[in-house]
Amino acid sequence: MAESNVKVDVQSITKRFDTEKSEHALALSNVSFQVKTNEFVTIVGRSGCGKSTMLNIIAGLLSPTSGTVTIAGEPVDGPGLNRGMVFQQSSLFPWLTAIENIEFGPKNTGVPKGERRALARELIALVRLKGFEDKYPRELSGGMQQRVAIARAMAIDPDILLMDEPFGALDQLTREDMQRELLRIWETRKKTVLFVTHSIDEAVYLSDRVLVFAPHPGFIKKELTIRLPRPRLKSSTEFMKYHEDIYETIGKES
Amino acid sequence: MKKDRFRLGLIASWLGFLVIIVIWQLISTFGLVNPELFPGPIAVARSVAANLTAVRVLQHVGFSLMRVGLGFLLGGTAGVVVGVICGWYVKLGAVLRTPVELLRPIPPLAWIPLAIIWLGLDEASKVFIIALGAFFPLFTNTYKGMITIDPNVIRAGQMLGLRGVRLLLRVVVPGALPDIATGMRLAWSYSFGSMVAAELIAASSGLGYMIMHARELGTIGVIVFGILLIGAINFLTDYLIQDVILTRQLRWHYIGTTG
Amino acid sequence: MRPSGKKARSGRLTRAVDIRIKIITLIALVATWELLSRLGLISMLALPRPSHLVVTIGRLATVGFPIDITVWLHIRATVWRILQGYLLAAAVAIPAGLVIGRLYLLERAANPIITFARSVATISLLPLAIAWFGVSELSRVLLVMYGAFWAILTNTIQGVKSVDLTLINVGRMFGASKSGLFFQVILPSTLPRIFAGMKIALGISFMVIIGVEMIGTVEGLGALIQQARYFYKSDIAISGTVFIGIFGLLISVVLDWLERRMLPWAVGLEEVER
Repeated sequence: MAESNVKVDVQSITKRFDTEKSEHALALSNVSFQVKTNEFVTIVGRSGCGKSTMLNIIAGLLSPTSGTVTIAGEPVDGPGLNRGMVFQQSSLFPWLTAIENIEFGPKNTGVPKGERRALARELIALVRLKGFEDKYPRELSGGMQQRVAIARAMAIDPDILLMDEPFGALDQLTREDMQRELLRIWETRKKTVLFVTHSIDEAVYLSDRVLVFAPHPGFIKKELTIRLPRPRLKSSTEFMKYHEDIYETIGKES
Repeated sequence: MKKDRFRLGLIASWLGFLVIIVIWQLISTFGLVNPELFPGPIAVARSVAANLTAVRVLQHVGFSLMRVGLGFLLGGTAGVVVGVICGWYVKLGAVLRTPVELLRPIPPLAWIPLAIIWLGLDEASKVFIIALGAFFPLFTNTYKGMITIDPNVIRAGQMLGLRGVRLLLRVVVPGALPDIATGMRLAWSYSFGSMVAAELIAASSGLGYMIMHARELGTIGVIVFGILLIGAINFLTDYLIQDVILTRQLRWHYIGTTG
Repeated sequence: MRPSGKKARSGRLTRAVDIRIKIITLIALVATWELLSRLGLISMLALPRPSHLVVTIGRLATVGFPIDITVWLHIRATVWRILQGYLLAAAVAIPAGLVIGRLYLLERAANPIITFARSVATISLLPLAIAWFGVSELSRVLLVMYGAFWAILTNTIQGVKSVDLTLINVGRMFGASKSGLFFQVILPSTLPRIFAGMKIALGISFMVIIGVEMIGTVEGLGALIQQARYFYKSDIAISGTVFIGIFGLLISVVLDWLERRMLPWAVGLEEVER
């Protein structure tokens, strides 16, 4: 019996890709882990270690070769409204304004106009973009676009927020701002988050727990719990120790 | 400095325009070319006044616009619909694209003889040609728009609960709109050109007919008037499409890029 | 990552599969056409069957239509007209465009004329040309020239205007003279755009000549199908149209190939001006 505070239960996920040369690329091999309610878990690893594949399987955008994913007791079978996702490249709908983007999910589930507008305004305030409601994505900076993307994903009140290298396309300074922003939003709104990144610093800075993935085939090489109070100092000794640990785990694989 | 340059440019534009009109008038005044064959602006106006009534002209314009409008609507809608289908249903798309891509290199005008054999000399054949003119650019551009959509935008739509036809209509098609819009502009210009040609070759009404008929009558002034009128209408309608419909509806696409 | 689900939304067919489907569809269409025609479900008058069309094409190539004018003569006439008008247009438009593009005030002065001249439907000039020069080769070539001219001109001007300033500065830093700058930096930078204009112009020339040939001549691809219409010979009309289509295809294929050879660094420039 799963504990009642387990939000995401990943059981023995294996994923095989058939490439054109009909090699069977084993992207993930027997991966299992759990994410507790309101926990912030990060999957970290080099490019190609299967972390994005894992996230896409949980999102329901990819189906696993074998294994199951359960979210709040419900098995995953295709994309669904109990999972919100933020992508690396801004995936805002360019023909809608910021606030219309945020309202998109509720609109499609039939939430009445007044209610969803109020909800959207609340989220705009949460991500600190008041005054930019009627701007089109093209008029917003990268960081702003990602904030709208986060608000949009949260508008459907998902059980879990999935984030696939959301700050990867931003410059270093904006990236650090966004990391702080994300923590602030997370602490205000209490959500379960599954975050994917290749930046070790980002993983240690943000998460309760870090799952270190290794490639060929993809599997969890190590699991760490970050026992540091937030906000964390990237220059502190403990921080750097965690960094070292993960760095060594990832190693110099080719 | 830049503002001055801009103002100078504006003056230059107006001057250029005026100079041409003046030269035109001068050529005919000094009889450098046979004034019969090359009427100046004033002579054109006189010829028109003598040979046409405002009502007649409006009738011709009406016929022409009606044909283009109808053909454009029919052919354009078909082009967008087929383009969307081909972009969404991959295998069906490959099947549908085969005849379309085979027929695409054929200029709309080349269909005139067949259109007349099949549909007679009446309106149907002309509207058919015009529709063909609109179909291909809109199909090509819609299809291109469909297959070059950022896949992340589609995924975001899926993650926000959309599937199937709803996903198609609420996310994919809007995303393809900029390309569709470019296609619209092109389609209109092809339709318009096809209309003029079709009316020149086989019609008894409309602006193309008006100038062809004028040639038979020898009223050169009317020919010149017709040419200019067609050009003006072409310019205006294109401007309308470009500025009013496209730029306004697609503000979200052009914002930040207009210079 | 490819999204799963019933439709592979971002899943494009591979080139091989795509071509296979196309070939099968083509064969299926032709076969159905032939079958339906033989079953009498499609009238031979309106849509002659493929087997008959093949024969017709053979006759066009040998006996010709109207009598003695084989399809090769038609093609030659059309090609010759296009060539003359097109090359004449290019010979004037390119130098003119280069000059106009460089001089801001001149470009501003010429702009209204160019814009308006482009709006004039080329084919609408045919009656005027006939009035001036009669129904002659000259009229036809001039019309082709008119159509091609503006496309090449506007694209050349745009090409000159949009030369990357950075490149010009680089040229200056390397001590290029004014003419050196022109021939070594501006001209090559403009070439892709000029080429784009040439492509568009050729397409326009093609469309114009087909239309022009439908009035007052018996030789030429446009004339061929028009004659076919007069005599209600739909088989010849279709065959002629097929030839026109192949011709059009050839033109674009050849041009694309040329572009790749001559301007490998700038392939795929999208047309912006008509």
